[in-house]
Amino acid sequence: MSIHTAKRSRPLSPNVQIYRPQLTSVLSILNRITGVALSGAAVALVIWLLMAAAGPQAYDVVQGAVASWIGQVMLFGTTFAFFLHLCGGIRHLVWDTVHGLELRSIYISGWVVVAASIALTLAAWVISFLMKG
Amino acid sequence: MIIESSDQVPRATLLKRFPIPRNFGVSPESRIKRGKTWPVLAGATRVQTFEIYRYDPDSGENPRLDTFQVDLDDCGPMVLDALFWIKNKVDSTLTFRRSCREGVCGSCSMNIDGVNWLACTRFISDLATPATIYPLANMEIIKDLVPDLTHLFAQYSAIEPWLKSKTPAPEQERLQSHEERSKLDGYYECILCFCCTSGCPSHWWNGDRFLGPAVLLQAWRWLADNRDEGAGERLDNLEDPFRLYRCHTILNCTRTCPKGLNPGKAIAEIKKAVIERRS
Amino acid sequence: MRSPLARAIGLGSAREGVRHWWAERISAVALLPLTLWFAASIIAHTGSDYTTFVAWLRTPLVATLMILLLIALFHHTALGLQVVIEDYIHSGGKFAAVIAVRLGCFALAIAGFVATLRIAFSS
Repeated sequence: MSIHTAKRSRPLSPNVQIYRPQLTSVLSILNRITGVALSGAAVALVIWLLMAAAGPQAYDVVQGAVASWIGQVMLFGTTFAFFLHLCGGIRHLVWDTVHGLELRSIYISGWVVVAASIALTLAAWVISFLMKG
Repeated sequence: MIIESSDQVPRATLLKRFPIPRNFGVSPESRIKRGKTWPVLAGATRVQTFEIYRYDPDSGENPRLDTFQVDLDDCGPMVLDALFWIKNKVDSTLTFRRSCREGVCGSCSMNIDGVNWLACTRFISDLATPATIYPLANMEIIKDLVPDLTHLFAQYSAIEPWLKSKTPAPEQERLQSHEERSKLDGYYECILCFCCTSGCPSHWWNGDRFLGPAVLLQAWRWLADNRDEGAGERLDNLEDPFRLYRCHTILNCTRTCPKGLNPGKAIAEIKKAVIERRS
Repeated sequence: MRSPLARAIGLGSAREGVRHWWAERISAVALLPLTLWFAASIIAHTGSDYTTFVAWLRTPLVATLMILLLIALFHHTALGLQVVIEDYIHSGGKFAAVIAVRLGCFALAIAGFVATLRIAFSS
Protein backbone atom coordinates (compact mmCIF):
# COMPACT_ATOMS: atom_id res chain seq x y z
CA MET A 1 0.00 0.00 0.00
CA SER A 2 1.47 3.40 -0.96
CA ILE A 3 1.26 6.40 1.35
CA HIS A 4 -1.34 7.86 -0.98
CA THR A 5 -3.82 5.06 -0.40
CA ALA A 6 -3.22 4.57 3.32
CA LYS A 7 -6.33 5.38 5.32
CA ARG A 8 -7.89 4.50 8.65
CA SER A 9 -9.38 1.06 8.86
CA ARG A 10 -13.14 1.04 9.29
CA PRO A 11 -14.52 0.83 12.82
CA LEU A 12 -16.29 -2.31 13.96
CA SER A 13 -19.81 -1.83 15.30
CA PRO A 14 -20.20 -2.90 18.95
CA ASN A 15 -21.34 -6.48 19.55
CA VAL A 16 -21.36 -7.90 23.08
CA GLN A 17 -21.07 -4.34 24.44
CA ILE A 18 -24.59 -3.38 23.30
CA TYR A 19 -26.44 -6.57 22.30
CA ARG A 20 -29.33 -7.36 24.61
CA PRO A 21 -28.80 -10.43 26.81
CA GLN A 22 -31.63 -12.86 26.04
CA LEU A 23 -32.58 -16.21 27.53
CA THR A 24 -30.99 -17.87 24.47
CA SER A 25 -27.55 -16.29 24.79
CA VAL A 26 -27.48 -16.16 28.61
CA LEU A 27 -28.27 -19.85 29.10
CA SER A 28 -25.79 -20.75 26.37
CA ILE A 29 -22.91 -18.84 27.97
CA LEU A 30 -23.87 -20.26 31.38
CA ASN A 31 -23.69 -23.76 29.90
CA ARG A 32 -20.17 -22.97 28.73
CA ILE A 33 -19.08 -21.34 32.02
CA THR A 34 -20.44 -24.26 34.08
CA GLY A 35 -18.74 -26.68 31.69
CA VAL A 36 -15.36 -25.04 32.19
CA ALA A 37 -15.94 -24.88 35.96
CA LEU A 38 -16.82 -28.59 36.00
CA SER A 39 -13.53 -29.44 34.28
CA GLY A 40 -11.93 -27.95 37.39
CA ALA A 41 -14.20 -30.19 39.44
CA ALA A 42 -13.02 -33.17 37.37
CA VAL A 43 -9.44 -32.40 38.37
CA ALA A 44 -10.58 -32.17 42.00
CA LEU A 45 -12.29 -35.56 41.63
CA VAL A 46 -9.02 -37.20 40.54
CA ILE A 47 -7.11 -35.55 43.39
CA TRP A 48 -9.76 -36.84 45.80
CA LEU A 49 -9.45 -40.40 44.43
CA LEU A 50 -5.65 -40.27 44.63
CA MET A 51 -5.83 -39.13 48.24
CA ALA A 52 -8.31 -41.89 49.04
CA ALA A 53 -5.93 -44.41 47.48
CA ALA A 54 -3.02 -43.01 49.47
CA GLY A 55 -4.52 -43.98 52.81
CA PRO A 56 -6.71 -42.74 55.68
CA GLN A 57 -4.41 -39.87 56.71
CA ALA A 58 -4.30 -38.37 53.21
CA TYR A 59 -8.08 -38.89 52.88
CA ASP A 60 -8.67 -36.99 56.12
CA VAL A 61 -6.72 -34.01 54.77
CA VAL A 62 -9.01 -33.85 51.75
CA GLN A 63 -12.16 -34.38 53.77
CA GLY A 64 -11.05 -31.61 56.12
CA ALA A 65 -10.60 -29.24 53.19
CA VAL A 66 -14.04 -30.11 51.85
CA ALA A 67 -15.62 -29.67 55.28
CA SER A 68 -14.18 -26.15 55.69
CA TRP A 69 -16.51 -23.27 54.90
CA ILE A 70 -14.62 -22.45 51.67
CA GLY A 71 -14.85 -26.10 50.70
CA GLN A 72 -18.59 -26.17 51.37
CA VAL A 73 -19.15 -22.98 49.35
CA MET A 74 -17.17 -24.44 46.44
CA LEU A 75 -19.05 -27.73 46.76
CA PHE A 76 -22.37 -25.87 46.65
CA GLY A 77 -21.20 -23.95 43.59
CA THR A 78 -20.05 -27.18 41.98
CA THR A 79 -23.41 -28.90 42.57
CA PHE A 80 -25.28 -25.94 41.09
CA ALA A 81 -22.90 -25.83 38.10
CA PHE A 82 -23.32 -29.60 37.69
CA PHE A 83 -27.11 -29.52 37.63
CA LEU A 84 -27.23 -26.45 35.36
CA HIS A 85 -24.84 -28.11 32.89
CA LEU A 86 -26.74 -31.41 33.17
CA CYS A 87 -30.16 -29.89 32.46
CA GLY A 88 -28.69 -27.59 29.79
CA GLY A 89 -26.94 -30.59 28.26
CA ILE A 90 -30.18 -32.57 28.08
CA ARG A 91 -31.79 -29.54 26.37
CA HIS A 92 -28.94 -29.57 23.82
CA LEU A 93 -29.30 -33.31 23.22
CA VAL A 94 -33.03 -32.82 22.53
CA TRP A 95 -32.21 -30.02 20.06
CA ASP A 96 -29.76 -32.33 18.28
CA THR A 97 -32.71 -34.60 17.41
CA VAL A 98 -34.29 -31.51 15.73
CA HIS A 99 -37.07 -31.24 18.34
CA GLY A 100 -38.10 -28.30 20.49
CA LEU A 101 -36.51 -25.67 18.24
CA GLU A 102 -39.60 -23.45 17.94
CA LEU A 103 -39.30 -20.19 19.91
CA ARG A 104 -42.03 -21.13 22.35
CA SER A 105 -40.38 -24.47 23.16
CA ILE A 106 -36.95 -22.83 23.41
CA TYR A 107 -38.21 -20.40 26.04
CA ILE A 108 -40.26 -22.93 28.01
CA SER A 109 -37.39 -25.45 28.10
CA GLY A 110 -35.02 -22.64 29.05
CA TRP A 111 -37.02 -21.68 32.12
CA VAL A 112 -37.50 -25.37 33.00
CA VAL A 113 -33.71 -25.78 32.97
CA VAL A 114 -33.25 -22.83 35.33
CA ALA A 115 -35.99 -24.00 37.71
CA ALA A 116 -34.87 -27.66 37.64
CA SER A 117 -31.23 -26.78 38.35
CA ILE A 118 -32.17 -24.70 41.39
CA ALA A 119 -34.60 -27.35 42.62
CA LEU A 120 -32.14 -30.22 42.15
CA THR A 121 -29.33 -28.33 43.87
CA LEU A 122 -31.49 -27.54 46.87
CA ALA A 123 -32.84 -31.11 46.96
CA ALA A 124 -29.32 -32.55 46.86
CA TRP A 125 -28.13 -30.39 49.71
CA VAL A 126 -31.23 -30.95 51.85
CA ILE A 127 -31.00 -34.73 51.40
CA SER A 128 -27.28 -34.63 52.16
CA PHE A 129 -27.98 -32.60 55.30
CA LEU A 130 -30.60 -35.12 56.40
CA MET A 131 -28.23 -38.04 55.70
CA LYS A 132 -25.62 -36.50 57.94
CA GLY A 133 -27.98 -35.96 60.85
CA MET B 1 -41.23 -14.50 29.90
CA ILE B 2 -42.25 -17.00 27.23
CA ILE B 3 -41.58 -15.65 23.74
CA GLU B 4 -43.93 -17.14 21.16
CA SER B 5 -42.70 -15.30 18.07
CA SER B 6 -39.64 -13.22 17.26
CA ASP B 7 -41.57 -9.97 16.82
CA GLN B 8 -42.34 -9.90 20.54
CA VAL B 9 -40.38 -6.99 21.99
CA PRO B 10 -38.71 -7.85 25.30
CA ARG B 11 -40.29 -5.87 28.14
CA ALA B 12 -37.85 -6.75 30.90
CA THR B 13 -35.50 -3.93 31.76
CA LEU B 14 -33.38 -5.83 34.26
CA LEU B 15 -30.45 -6.49 31.94
CA LYS B 16 -30.28 -4.37 28.80
CA ARG B 17 -26.64 -5.12 28.09
CA PHE B 18 -24.06 -7.47 29.61
CA PRO B 19 -22.46 -5.75 32.62
CA ILE B 20 -19.16 -4.96 30.92
CA PRO B 21 -17.56 -1.57 30.16
CA ARG B 22 -19.06 0.18 27.14
CA ASN B 23 -15.83 0.06 25.13
CA PHE B 24 -14.67 -3.33 26.42
CA GLY B 25 -12.15 -5.05 24.15
CA VAL B 26 -12.81 -2.52 21.40
CA SER B 27 -9.99 -1.47 19.06
CA PRO B 28 -8.95 2.20 19.22
CA GLU B 29 -10.61 3.22 15.96
CA SER B 30 -13.93 1.66 17.04
CA ARG B 31 -14.27 3.33 20.44
CA ILE B 32 -17.50 5.30 20.64
CA LYS B 33 -17.48 8.74 22.21
CA ARG B 34 -20.31 11.03 23.31
CA GLY B 35 -21.68 13.02 20.36
CA LYS B 36 -23.97 15.96 19.73
CA THR B 37 -27.32 16.43 21.42
CA TRP B 38 -29.51 17.90 18.70
CA PRO B 39 -32.16 20.44 19.85
CA VAL B 40 -35.88 19.67 20.01
CA LEU B 41 -37.83 21.39 17.22
CA ALA B 42 -40.33 24.09 18.24
CA GLY B 43 -43.90 23.02 18.92
CA ALA B 44 -43.11 19.38 19.69
CA THR B 45 -45.29 17.97 22.46
CA ARG B 46 -44.92 14.16 22.24
CA VAL B 47 -41.23 13.45 21.88
CA GLN B 48 -39.15 10.25 21.70
CA THR B 49 -35.41 10.37 22.40
CA PHE B 50 -33.10 8.41 20.09
CA GLU B 51 -29.40 7.75 20.68
CA ILE B 52 -27.96 6.95 17.29
CA TYR B 53 -24.49 5.64 16.35
CA ARG B 54 -22.76 8.01 13.93
CA TYR B 55 -19.53 7.57 12.01
CA ASP B 56 -18.14 9.91 9.37
CA PRO B 57 -15.27 8.31 7.42
CA ASP B 58 -14.15 11.70 6.03
CA SER B 59 -13.78 13.39 9.41
CA GLY B 60 -11.02 11.10 10.71
CA GLU B 61 -12.79 10.96 14.06
CA ASN B 62 -14.01 8.01 16.07
CA PRO B 63 -17.65 6.94 15.98
CA ARG B 64 -19.95 8.84 18.32
CA LEU B 65 -23.45 8.58 19.82
CA ASP B 66 -25.76 11.48 18.83
CA THR B 67 -29.00 12.24 20.70
CA PHE B 68 -32.09 13.26 18.74
CA GLN B 69 -35.61 14.20 19.91
CA VAL B 70 -38.25 13.13 17.40
CA ASP B 71 -41.67 14.84 17.30
CA LEU B 72 -44.00 11.82 17.28
CA ASP B 73 -47.00 13.86 16.03
CA ASP B 74 -45.04 14.78 12.91
CA CYS B 75 -43.65 11.33 12.22
CA GLY B 76 -44.90 7.91 11.08
CA PRO B 77 -45.15 4.97 13.51
CA MET B 78 -42.04 2.99 12.54
CA VAL B 79 -38.37 3.49 13.45
CA LEU B 80 -37.58 3.99 9.75
CA ASP B 81 -40.07 6.89 9.72
CA ALA B 82 -38.17 8.41 12.67
CA LEU B 83 -34.85 8.04 10.83
CA PHE B 84 -36.34 9.79 7.77
CA TRP B 85 -37.82 12.51 10.01
CA ILE B 86 -34.37 13.15 11.53
CA LYS B 87 -32.74 13.18 8.10
CA ASN B 88 -35.34 15.58 6.67
CA LYS B 89 -35.84 17.94 9.60
CA VAL B 90 -32.71 17.83 11.78
CA ASP B 91 -29.52 16.32 10.30
CA SER B 92 -29.44 15.52 6.61
CA THR B 93 -26.10 13.70 6.93
CA LEU B 94 -27.72 10.75 8.78
CA THR B 95 -27.03 7.78 6.50
CA PHE B 96 -28.85 4.44 6.42
CA ARG B 97 -29.91 1.80 3.89
CA ARG B 98 -33.60 1.48 3.02
CA SER B 99 -35.84 0.46 0.15
CA CYS B 100 -39.23 -1.25 0.45
CA ARG B 101 -40.35 0.16 3.84
CA GLU B 102 -42.47 -2.96 4.36
CA GLY B 103 -40.10 -5.62 5.69
CA VAL B 104 -39.39 -7.57 2.49
CA CYS B 105 -36.10 -6.23 1.12
CA GLY B 106 -33.82 -6.53 4.16
CA SER B 107 -32.03 -3.20 3.57
CA CYS B 108 -32.81 -1.40 6.85
CA SER B 109 -31.56 -4.11 9.23
CA MET B 110 -29.91 -2.55 12.29
CA ASN B 111 -29.59 -2.98 16.04
CA ILE B 112 -32.56 -1.31 17.77
CA ASP B 113 -32.64 -1.29 21.59
CA GLY B 114 -30.01 -4.02 21.66
CA VAL B 115 -31.75 -6.40 19.27
CA ASN B 116 -31.20 -6.79 15.52
CA TRP B 117 -34.38 -6.04 13.54
CA LEU B 118 -35.66 -4.16 10.47
CA ALA B 119 -36.25 -0.45 11.12
CA CYS B 120 -39.35 -0.43 8.92
CA THR B 121 -41.20 -3.09 10.94
CA ARG B 122 -40.30 -1.93 14.47
CA PHE B 123 -42.90 0.36 16.09
CA ILE B 124 -41.56 3.47 17.88
CA SER B 125 -44.11 2.79 20.63
CA ASP B 126 -42.27 -0.48 21.44
CA LEU B 127 -39.00 1.30 22.15
CA ALA B 128 -37.35 2.15 25.45
CA THR B 129 -36.56 5.71 26.52
CA PRO B 130 -34.05 6.64 25.28
CA ALA B 131 -34.10 4.31 22.28
CA THR B 132 -30.66 3.21 21.12
CA ILE B 133 -29.94 2.60 17.46
CA TYR B 134 -26.67 0.97 16.46
CA PRO B 135 -25.68 -0.59 13.15
CA LEU B 136 -25.81 -4.39 12.82
CA ALA B 137 -23.50 -5.83 15.49
CA ASN B 138 -19.90 -6.72 14.70
CA MET B 139 -19.82 -5.26 11.20
CA GLU B 140 -17.26 -2.99 9.54
CA ILE B 141 -19.02 0.35 9.24
CA ILE B 142 -18.85 2.35 6.02
CA LYS B 143 -20.80 5.33 7.40
CA ASP B 144 -23.34 5.90 10.21
CA LEU B 145 -25.72 2.90 10.14
CA VAL B 146 -24.39 1.36 6.89
CA PRO B 147 -22.38 -1.86 7.41
CA ASP B 148 -20.05 -3.51 4.88
CA LEU B 149 -21.80 -6.77 3.95
CA THR B 150 -19.17 -7.90 1.42
CA HIS B 151 -17.82 -10.78 3.53
CA LEU B 152 -21.32 -12.05 4.38
CA PHE B 153 -22.35 -12.12 0.73
CA ALA B 154 -19.03 -13.80 -0.13
CA GLN B 155 -19.84 -16.51 2.44
CA TYR B 156 -23.26 -16.84 0.78
CA SER B 157 -21.73 -17.36 -2.67
CA ALA B 158 -19.29 -19.88 -1.17
CA ILE B 159 -22.16 -22.32 -0.49
CA GLU B 160 -23.10 -22.23 -4.19
CA PRO B 161 -26.77 -21.22 -3.81
CA TRP B 162 -28.02 -22.55 -7.15
CA LEU B 163 -29.57 -25.74 -8.46
CA LYS B 164 -26.95 -28.42 -9.13
CA SER B 165 -28.05 -31.06 -11.57
CA LYS B 166 -26.27 -33.72 -13.60
CA THR B 167 -29.52 -35.08 -15.07
CA PRO B 168 -30.27 -33.17 -18.28
CA ALA B 169 -32.93 -30.50 -17.86
CA PRO B 170 -36.44 -31.74 -18.65
CA GLU B 171 -38.36 -30.19 -21.56
CA GLN B 172 -40.69 -28.33 -19.23
CA GLU B 173 -40.52 -27.78 -15.45
CA ARG B 174 -38.68 -29.97 -12.97
CA LEU B 175 -41.75 -31.32 -11.23
CA GLN B 176 -42.23 -31.02 -7.48
CA SER B 177 -45.13 -32.34 -5.41
CA HIS B 178 -46.89 -30.19 -2.83
CA GLU B 179 -45.17 -32.11 -0.06
CA GLU B 180 -41.72 -31.66 -1.63
CA ARG B 181 -42.38 -27.94 -2.10
CA SER B 182 -43.50 -27.58 1.50
CA LYS B 183 -40.02 -28.72 2.61
CA LEU B 184 -38.74 -25.33 1.44
CA ASP B 185 -41.23 -23.39 3.57
CA GLY B 186 -39.48 -21.44 6.28
CA TYR B 187 -36.22 -21.37 4.32
CA TYR B 188 -36.88 -19.80 0.91
CA GLU B 189 -38.40 -16.68 2.51
CA CYS B 190 -35.05 -15.41 3.82
CA ILE B 191 -34.44 -11.81 2.70
CA LEU B 192 -30.70 -11.90 3.54
CA CYS B 193 -30.99 -9.02 6.01
CA PHE B 194 -28.27 -10.72 8.13
CA CYS B 195 -29.90 -9.81 11.45
CA CYS B 196 -29.31 -13.40 12.57
CA THR B 197 -25.66 -13.65 11.53
CA SER B 198 -24.89 -10.28 13.06
CA GLY B 199 -26.51 -11.39 16.33
CA CYS B 200 -24.63 -14.69 16.60
CA PRO B 201 -21.85 -14.58 19.25
CA SER B 202 -20.06 -17.44 17.48
CA HIS B 203 -19.97 -15.37 14.31
CA TRP B 204 -18.65 -12.42 16.34
CA TRP B 205 -15.64 -14.45 17.47
CA ASN B 206 -15.13 -16.59 14.34
CA GLY B 207 -16.93 -14.75 11.57
CA ASP B 208 -14.07 -15.12 9.11
CA ARG B 209 -14.49 -18.92 9.02
CA PHE B 210 -17.91 -19.69 10.53
CA LEU B 211 -20.60 -19.30 7.84
CA GLY B 212 -23.28 -18.01 10.21
CA PRO B 213 -27.03 -18.72 10.44
CA ALA B 214 -28.19 -16.84 7.32
CA VAL B 215 -25.81 -18.65 5.00
CA LEU B 216 -26.39 -22.03 6.69
CA LEU B 217 -30.16 -21.54 6.42
CA GLN B 218 -29.74 -21.03 2.69
CA ALA B 219 -27.42 -24.07 2.54
CA TRP B 220 -30.25 -26.13 4.07
CA ARG B 221 -32.72 -24.58 1.59
CA TRP B 222 -30.71 -26.17 -1.21
CA LEU B 223 -30.14 -29.45 0.64
CA ALA B 224 -33.88 -29.75 1.29
CA ASP B 225 -34.80 -29.12 -2.36
CA ASN B 226 -35.66 -32.43 -4.01
CA ARG B 227 -34.71 -31.06 -7.45
CA ASP B 228 -31.10 -30.47 -6.37
CA GLU B 229 -28.60 -33.27 -7.11
CA GLY B 230 -25.58 -31.85 -5.32
CA ALA B 231 -26.37 -32.80 -1.70
CA GLY B 232 -23.20 -34.88 -1.38
CA GLU B 233 -20.80 -32.16 -2.40
CA ARG B 234 -22.80 -29.55 -0.46
CA LEU B 235 -22.44 -31.57 2.75
CA ASP B 236 -18.75 -32.19 2.00
CA ASN B 237 -18.25 -28.44 1.78
CA LEU B 238 -20.21 -27.75 4.97
CA GLU B 239 -18.71 -30.45 7.18
CA ASP B 240 -15.91 -28.43 8.72
CA PRO B 241 -15.09 -27.64 12.37
CA PHE B 242 -15.48 -23.95 11.60
CA ARG B 243 -17.90 -23.56 8.67
CA LEU B 244 -20.67 -25.56 10.35
CA TYR B 245 -19.55 -26.72 13.76
CA ARG B 246 -18.89 -23.32 15.32
CA CYS B 247 -22.66 -23.34 15.80
CA HIS B 248 -23.22 -24.17 19.46
CA THR B 249 -27.00 -23.78 19.27
CA ILE B 250 -26.96 -20.42 21.02
CA LEU B 251 -30.24 -19.64 19.16
CA ASN B 252 -29.94 -15.84 19.14
CA CYS B 253 -30.64 -16.22 15.42
CA THR B 254 -34.11 -17.73 15.79
CA ARG B 255 -34.92 -15.16 18.49
CA THR B 256 -34.04 -12.22 16.26
CA CYS B 257 -35.24 -13.14 12.73
CA PRO B 258 -37.52 -10.31 11.54
CA LYS B 259 -39.27 -12.73 9.13
CA GLY B 260 -39.94 -15.32 11.86
CA LEU B 261 -37.65 -17.93 10.25
CA ASN B 262 -35.71 -20.55 12.17
CA PRO B 263 -32.02 -20.73 11.26
CA GLY B 264 -31.28 -22.76 14.40
CA LYS B 265 -33.59 -25.48 13.16
CA ALA B 266 -32.05 -25.43 9.66
CA ILE B 267 -28.57 -25.87 11.14
CA ALA B 268 -29.82 -28.74 13.33
CA GLU B 269 -31.17 -30.39 10.17
CA ILE B 270 -27.80 -29.99 8.44
CA LYS B 271 -25.99 -31.57 11.41
CA LYS B 272 -28.52 -34.40 11.37
CA ALA B 273 -27.93 -34.97 7.64
CA VAL B 274 -24.16 -35.06 8.21
CA ILE B 275 -24.57 -37.75 10.87
CA GLU B 276 -27.13 -39.73 8.91
CA ARG B 277 -24.97 -40.07 5.84
CA ARG B 278 -22.21 -41.77 7.81
CA SER B 279 -24.38 -44.25 9.72
CA MET C 1 -5.23 -8.58 -1.60
CA ARG C 2 -7.62 -11.53 -1.61
CA SER C 3 -11.02 -11.37 -3.22
CA PRO C 4 -13.96 -11.54 -0.79
CA LEU C 5 -14.81 -15.02 -2.11
CA ALA C 6 -11.24 -16.26 -1.53
CA ARG C 7 -11.39 -14.90 2.00
CA ALA C 8 -14.72 -16.64 2.63
CA ILE C 9 -13.52 -19.98 1.19
CA GLY C 10 -10.25 -19.78 3.14
CA LEU C 11 -8.35 -23.09 2.98
CA GLY C 12 -11.46 -24.99 1.91
CA SER C 13 -13.63 -27.36 3.86
CA ALA C 14 -11.87 -29.84 6.15
CA ARG C 15 -14.56 -32.39 5.18
CA GLU C 16 -14.35 -33.63 8.74
CA GLY C 17 -15.76 -32.39 12.01
CA VAL C 18 -18.70 -34.61 12.75
CA ARG C 19 -16.49 -37.09 14.63
CA HIS C 20 -15.74 -34.54 17.34
CA TRP C 21 -19.41 -33.47 17.51
CA TRP C 22 -20.67 -37.07 17.71
CA ALA C 23 -18.11 -38.10 20.36
CA GLU C 24 -19.18 -35.13 22.49
CA ARG C 25 -22.81 -36.32 22.28
CA ILE C 26 -21.97 -39.98 22.98
CA SER C 27 -19.88 -39.04 26.02
CA ALA C 28 -22.69 -36.74 27.18
CA VAL C 29 -25.25 -39.55 26.94
CA ALA C 30 -22.87 -41.83 28.87
CA LEU C 31 -22.33 -39.14 31.49
CA LEU C 32 -26.05 -38.72 32.18
CA PRO C 33 -26.51 -41.92 34.21
CA LEU C 34 -22.90 -42.08 35.43
CA THR C 35 -22.79 -38.59 36.96
CA LEU C 36 -26.23 -38.98 38.50
CA TRP C 37 -25.11 -42.28 40.03
CA PHE C 38 -21.95 -40.61 41.33
CA ALA C 39 -23.82 -37.63 42.78
CA ALA C 40 -26.38 -39.89 44.44
CA SER C 41 -23.61 -42.07 45.89
CA ILE C 42 -21.73 -39.08 47.30
CA ILE C 43 -24.92 -37.74 48.89
CA ALA C 44 -25.73 -41.17 50.32
CA HIS C 45 -22.22 -41.39 51.79
CA THR C 46 -22.30 -37.98 53.51
CA GLY C 47 -20.67 -38.29 56.88
CA SER C 48 -19.46 -41.85 56.39
CA ASP C 49 -15.89 -42.64 57.46
CA TYR C 50 -12.87 -43.85 55.49
CA THR C 51 -13.40 -47.59 55.90
CA THR C 52 -17.06 -47.48 54.80
CA PHE C 53 -16.17 -45.37 51.79
CA VAL C 54 -13.28 -47.60 50.72
CA ALA C 55 -15.35 -50.77 51.23
CA TRP C 56 -17.96 -49.28 48.90
CA LEU C 57 -15.41 -48.27 46.28
CA ARG C 58 -13.76 -51.69 46.46
CA THR C 59 -16.79 -53.60 45.13
CA PRO C 60 -16.30 -54.61 41.46
CA LEU C 61 -19.48 -52.86 40.31
CA VAL C 62 -18.58 -49.53 41.87
CA ALA C 63 -14.99 -49.72 40.67
CA THR C 64 -16.21 -50.40 37.12
CA LEU C 65 -18.70 -47.54 37.22
CA MET C 66 -16.03 -45.21 38.58
CA ILE C 67 -13.66 -46.10 35.74
CA LEU C 68 -16.44 -45.65 33.17
CA LEU C 69 -17.23 -42.29 34.73
CA LEU C 70 -13.59 -41.20 34.46
CA ILE C 71 -13.37 -42.27 30.80
CA ALA C 72 -16.59 -40.50 29.79
CA LEU C 73 -15.85 -37.45 31.95
CA PHE C 74 -12.36 -36.79 30.65
CA HIS C 75 -13.29 -37.52 27.04
CA HIS C 76 -16.19 -35.04 27.28
CA THR C 77 -14.00 -32.52 29.12
CA ALA C 78 -11.22 -32.72 26.52
CA LEU C 79 -13.68 -32.27 23.64
CA GLY C 80 -15.53 -29.41 25.33
CA LEU C 81 -12.40 -27.51 26.32
CA GLN C 82 -10.97 -27.97 22.81
CA VAL C 83 -14.04 -26.24 21.37
CA VAL C 84 -13.76 -23.40 23.90
CA ILE C 85 -10.07 -22.88 23.06
CA GLU C 86 -10.72 -22.94 19.31
CA ASP C 87 -13.50 -20.38 19.77
CA TYR C 88 -11.46 -17.79 21.63
CA ILE C 89 -7.79 -18.29 20.76
CA HIS C 90 -6.87 -17.71 17.13
CA SER C 91 -3.10 -17.35 17.29
CA GLY C 92 -0.62 -20.25 17.10
CA GLY C 93 -0.94 -20.64 20.86
CA LYS C 94 -4.25 -22.36 20.11
CA PHE C 95 -2.46 -25.57 19.09
CA ALA C 96 -0.29 -25.58 22.21
CA ALA C 97 -3.37 -25.06 24.40
CA VAL C 98 -5.35 -27.85 22.69
CA ILE C 99 -2.44 -30.28 22.98
CA ALA C 100 -1.96 -29.38 26.65
CA VAL C 101 -5.66 -29.91 27.38
CA ARG C 102 -5.86 -33.25 25.55
CA LEU C 103 -2.71 -34.66 27.14
CA GLY C 104 -3.69 -33.28 30.54
CA CYS C 105 -7.12 -34.92 30.41
CA PHE C 106 -5.56 -38.23 29.35
CA ALA C 107 -3.04 -38.07 32.19
CA LEU C 108 -5.73 -37.21 34.74
CA ALA C 109 -7.92 -40.07 33.55
CA ILE C 110 -5.04 -42.52 33.93
CA ALA C 111 -4.30 -41.14 37.39
CA GLY C 112 -7.94 -41.69 38.30
CA PHE C 113 -7.82 -45.29 37.02
CA VAL C 114 -4.67 -46.01 39.02
CA ALA C 115 -6.24 -44.59 42.18
CA THR C 116 -9.48 -46.55 41.71
CA LEU C 117 -7.72 -49.81 40.87
CA ARG C 118 -5.36 -49.38 43.81
CA ILE C 119 -8.32 -49.11 46.16
CA ALA C 120 -10.17 -51.92 44.41
CA PHE C 121 -7.27 -54.39 44.59
CA SER C 122 -5.85 -53.45 47.98
CA SER C 123 -6.50 -55.73 50.95
